[in-house]
Amino acid sequence: MKITVNGAEHELASPPLTSLLNALRDELNVTGPKVGCQGGNCGTCTVLVDGEPRRSCLLPLAMVDGAEVTTIEGLGTPKRMHPMQAAFHFYYGSQCGFCAPGMITASVALLERNPNPTRKQIQNALGGHICRCTGYVKIIDAVEAVARGESFDGAELTRSRGGEATPKGASA
Amino acid sequence: MARHKGRGLATIEYPTGMNQSGDLTQSWIKLKHDGRVDVLSGTVDIGNGSKTAHRQIVAAALGVPVDWVTVDVSDTDASPWDTGTFASRCTFIGGNAVKIAAERVRERVLEIAGKMLEIDPADLTIEEGVVFARGAPETNISVSDVAHAATWQLGGELISGTGTFVKPFAKILDQETGRIDRDPHAALSYGASVAEIEVDDETGEVRVERFIEAYDIGYAINPTIVEGQIQGGTVMGLGLALLEASYPYYPSPEHRGADFASYMAPSMVDLPQIDFLCLENPSVEGPFGAKACGEMANNGQGPSVAAAIHDAVGVWVTELPLTPERVLRALEKKAAGEDAPRVDGKWVIFDEELSINAVGAPDADVKFTFDPF
Repeated sequence: MKITVNGAEHELASPPLTSLLNALRDELNVTGPKVGCQGGNCGTCTVLVDGEPRRSCLLPLAMVDGAEVTTIEGLGTPKRMHPMQAAFHFYYGSQCGFCAPGMITASVALLERNPNPTRKQIQNALGGHICRCTGYVKIIDAVEAVARGESFDGAELTRSRGGEATPKGASA
Repeated sequence: MARHKGRGLATIEYPTGMNQSGDLTQSWIKLKHDGRVDVLSGTVDIGNGSKTAHRQIVAAALGVPVDWVTVDVSDTDASPWDTGTFASRCTFIGGNAVKIAAERVRERVLEIAGKMLEIDPADLTIEEGVVFARGAPETNISVSDVAHAATWQLGGELISGTGTFVKPFAKILDQETGRIDRDPHAALSYGASVAEIEVDDETGEVRVERFIEAYDIGYAINPTIVEGQIQGGTVMGLGLALLEASYPYYPSPEHRGADFASYMAPSMVDLPQIDFLCLENPSVEGPFGAKACGEMANNGQGPSVAAAIHDAVGVWVTELPLTPERVLRALEKKAAGEDAPRVDGKWVIFDEELSINAVGAPDADVKFTFDPF
């Protein structure tokens, strides 16, 4: 079984019925996609298979032979973030971060398909991704910002957005 | 058959952290030789944003830019003690602990800078990483230079400070009157939730169109994180109001929904409009006046949606979650003329004696009794 993960080709030793998620995490040590419910309900294991968002926990390796897989790691790094990652960072679209790998990959796929989604379309596209922290509002804000073409340079990223609200009486 | 609109209100008060002593956080701050500040705190950020808030608190209390401060919570074995991330206590109790530690570091920096500049430390202040004389800013020295000198020239001192915050027992001074020696609660936050809903009287389905949430959180150290806590809490409260329950044998886990297909958590498609208002009525004891905004953000939605259902169709559904089945059963009862009067849940009546006994120690010599082992 051969798959390309984030640009690098791998010959896999895992049996063909191993889930893509387990193969990524256990055999290739790509731990961006998270092990959530393992039943396709929560969405945090989502990866892009040939550009399409897929639940990697439900995909046996046999079905992705020869496919090109992109995980959250393949989108960008902390130094060179994908615009969607930067937007999630800037808009506080992630709190504990457990849903973020799936949310971000699915959002990237959404904008590939539909570069100018309405708020309702974003809600429908990401409806299968569960987040218990943010209340979803800031995630939708982040996706909308990328769709609008907002960019976030390094200076903005290192700035604590709450920095402007540094407590009063700072040097009392 | 029709859809009915309704609006309901609920109010909440929320005590911050645990108040009966024993709920403490320790922290330790070291100022490295280049001026960078390392904060080791027991408080663990589980997504609540306490790491960012602590960074801001330390930067403000010490007088250095936020970028100089690193908060390390990576190892709970090596970190100072903390009882945990719960009860909305991280910013209040943990924040106070890092603030106290930062103030000690600041004090030591001023002492050393005073010697270096030959000025009484009481006349010095720190802003944006620079120590300067009040009224004479041209007499100044950078905090990083002070730290460098302490390390390499003045005997190798590692400038550091520890801070602990714990809300002590309130001592009962007079059994007759119940007079106590201090405010037994650390800080009380207040909130209100308004739900605007639509009830379908044929299916019993309740749809929330809008929540209006108002919270008095003392002081928003990081307004964006507060916003996130309130939005997140509101959606979690929506789940508690309409969807989530550990049926059928709570608290036994038997036969309850084992995955997100049977235990329904709100998803993005359920998202109502959320408007909120953040009021700042500072606490005397909180860091920069901050109180709490974590857990209480999901307390008001259940009762406000229940009240809105009553407003819409005239029935009280007295059990959460407010499922279509429960709404329909209540409507059926009403139609049969068995419109039960409002059934109250557990009434918590404020009993002064019970309350004081809960937070006070009758023995004035009570020692710190918390034993983690």
